[in-house]
Amino acid sequence: MEQNTENLSDEEVVQKVRSFDQELYAVIVDRYQGKLLRYALSLIKDEQQSLDVVQESFIKAFVNLQGFDTKKKFSSWIYRIVHNEAMNIIKKYHKETPLLDGIDFPSDENIEDDFTKQEITDAVKKCLREIPLLYSEPLELRYVEEKSYEEISDILHIPLGTVAIRISRAKKVMKRVCQKN
Amino acid sequence: MSEELKSVTRNVMERIHHEKITMRPRIYFIFGSVLTFIGLTASILTSVFLFSLLRFSLRSHGPMGAYRWEQLVSNFPWWALFVALFGLILGIWLLRRYEFSYKMNFRVIALGFILAIIATGFVLDMTGLSDVLSRQGPMKGIMRPSSSDDMFRPGSSFGGFYNK
Repeated sequence: MEQNTENLSDEEVVQKVRSFDQELYAVIVDRYQGKLLRYALSLIKDEQQSLDVVQESFIKAFVNLQGFDTKKKFSSWIYRIVHNEAMNIIKKYHKETPLLDGIDFPSDENIEDDFTKQEITDAVKKCLREIPLLYSEPLELRYVEEKSYEEISDILHIPLGTVAIRISRAKKVMKRVCQKN
Repeated sequence: MSEELKSVTRNVMERIHHEKITMRPRIYFIFGSVLTFIGLTASILTSVFLFSLLRFSLRSHGPMGAYRWEQLVSNFPWWALFVALFGLILGIWLLRRYEFSYKMNFRVIALGFILAIIATGFVLDMTGLSDVLSRQGPMKGIMRPSSSDDMFRPGSSFGGFYNK
């Protein structure tokens, strides 16, 4: 299934799912599960709840797939759904989420192919867990999920300028936190 | 955890099959958009109407402002205000429900909405449409002065007296 669709963009796969083959939705889930679990975990910091959030998000996305505008980026759309679901969980439990030790999700992307980069990434992830969500989320999206400013703006529903400001402030906050560590 | 990760696809697809989860039809979203449009349009029109009426009434009162204000409050079609509020709330609710994952800053939308109402109300008032509405159409009944007001009108016995 993946072989036939690997050259297709997300939006093209979604179009096929909507038109004639719902089974192809598995391709979308395969493509995004790792990234979305990592993202959900960065927000909720609870493995089981992150899994639930991601699964619920996939179901919600499937139900509303006809409402997705294929001229827009599917990735921003699905990230937004996960963001909404995660925020619901955070509000529901009214809690400061606990810190994690050594938990990570495998990713299909081989973006960390050198040790220094891996080391920096690990340090960044550690510091990210210690700064407020307001700042950690845009940083996570920018440097861990490698989203553009425009995509972050779409996912968080904030203007581009606000994205830039939050990332800039987040770097300063993070610098202080990392230096303490 | 990696085992659970692998099972996400299986779990999602199984739920879709076993719980018979289906995609909402396209018409559902079209209907939602139409409802949103109707709700917002109705609330804008109603709000503009009310704002224009209010401003017109206050402006035309002159020194009897307090008395006229009481009269306006007693004659005011409050149901229309509730319709406007209901339309606004329904419109935003629908927008959130149907476009839940697209970027929309609802604070900006609400602020823009209010500013648009005020601006349109001023324009309607300045162009004299309020006066036209007050003499004909649905506004006629609302804006018709009571018999006690007639005496202050130029040409009436009282008004005529003051005009002399």
